[in-house]
Amino acid sequence: MPKTHHLTLPVDRDAIRALELGDLVFIDGEIVMTAGLPTHKRILEAMDGKRELPFPLDGAALFHLGSYSVDTPDGFEILYMNPTTSTRFNPVMPAIIRHFGLTLVCGKGGLDAASAEAMREVGCVYLSILGGGAALHSDAIRKVVDVGWTDLVSHYRMVKMQVEGLGPLTVEIDAHGHNGYDLRQQSARDRLPALLAEMNAARG
Amino acid sequence: MAISYEAVRDLTANLYEWSLKKIPEDAKRALETAIEIESNETARKVLSMMRNSAQRAEESDRFVCSDSGVPVYFVKVGTRVQFSGDVKRAISDGFAHLVETIQPPLLKHVTNPLTNERGHAGKDMPIVSWDMLDGADYIDVTCAPKALGSGRWAELKIMSFPTLQEIEEYVLDVVIRTAAQQCPPVTIGVGIGGTFDHCAKLAKMATIRPLGSINPVPELAAMEERLMTAIAKLGYGPMGTGGDTTALAVHVDYASGHGFTPVAVSFNCWISRRTRARLYDDGHVERVE
Repeated sequence: MPKTHHLTLPVDRDAIRALELGDLVFIDGEIVMTAGLPTHKRILEAMDGKRELPFPLDGAALFHLGSYSVDTPDGFEILYMNPTTSTRFNPVMPAIIRHFGLTLVCGKGGLDAASAEAMREVGCVYLSILGGGAALHSDAIRKVVDVGWTDLVSHYRMVKMQVEGLGPLTVEIDAHGHNGYDLRQQSARDRLPALLAEMNAARG
Repeated sequence: MAISYEAVRDLTANLYEWSLKKIPEDAKRALETAIEIESNETARKVLSMMRNSAQRAEESDRFVCSDSGVPVYFVKVGTRVQFSGDVKRAISDGFAHLVETIQPPLLKHVTNPLTNERGHAGKDMPIVSWDMLDGADYIDVTCAPKALGSGRWAELKIMSFPTLQEIEEYVLDVVIRTAAQQCPPVTIGVGIGGTFDHCAKLAKMATIRPLGSINPVPELAAMEERLMTAIAKLGYGPMGTGGDTTALAVHVDYASGHGFTPVAVSFNCWISRRTRARLYDDGHVERVE
């Protein structure tokens, strides 16, 4: 039976390290989101001192979510949000996870072994969030805290917001180097010869 | 009687908006069936969340997915139809008007591949494919906006006189290499034969064939069953987080060709995004999907 956790951010490393593959998580608190590769490149530039971050990312929960933000007289409003595929950011994530000591990374599709190793080192987990869940995820938004890099198209901007009850998200890479995506991929490849044999038998 | 510019413009824009806010009825049924037969508890939870997400979007008039894709239409023109205005311009104008008026607004997904600049318009947008329907007094329009999450995994390989075994092995190889990143449970469309372009079209059209429909070609129905059984045992599950429900369906179509045989594999994500309607010569609209 998978366990269910309600995490209030910021969360301490012990709570992160206690999360196991397959556990369900609901999130309250501040998260940072972007769906843009150009945004990740800007983060790398900031790490090199070539650019200012719009707000600090130390210990942040970084979500690969794209959002539609509009500037209103009362500040930014987010009309909707939904995940993008995290593996697009595989080449840059290990450095970002280590540099900022991220606590959570969330998106869909997972991250590779190099990211899982960086997550193990700093005590960070990867959470899977439903794709095609825009209405449900958007209902969890409580407050837009900050919107950075507004020169970018909306879903590339870096947005900090408060959420309540965002989830359930599933733990797919834990803080001990276990990567659910890699385990399933290995298992699928291991099963393939037997499946091909079954198909040959069925074909006659 | 004749089909007007305004009728085409309004219908194609409406089809786009409808496709973003409601999943097709056959997709709802397929999800319900999957929830019943899925053996993995977490996977059942993910599938239930998908059902709830679609329901919430539909009842609150919001998008199911934030990636509203790029505009893609398939138009079949009945030979007994007359037009009183421009048709291609009507589809472009309809999309441009939708971008201005739709609530909530669309993110900028139309991308210039040479510069990676993003907007709502661009060369060859909307992407429209044309066909003819002999004897029909209507145009049949399908709208299937394509998003990044599932669009990026399609693949085509040219083989030479392949066996069915080689074709099926290739399909499984493509499925495994996607590593379930295309928001499963997916509908997998497979095209076999024809030419490079025709085969890709077959695979694409197969992804939007109604779920639950039976393939009329016995050899292909059997191939679909073999592939479905094998793919369920790969273990990826909904959102790739484990389970049996990796595909809602495998749909295969074929065309005669030469000895070079293209095989194309295309994916539609779990929301099965598509709408379809007929616009008759007398101006009335019939929703099909």
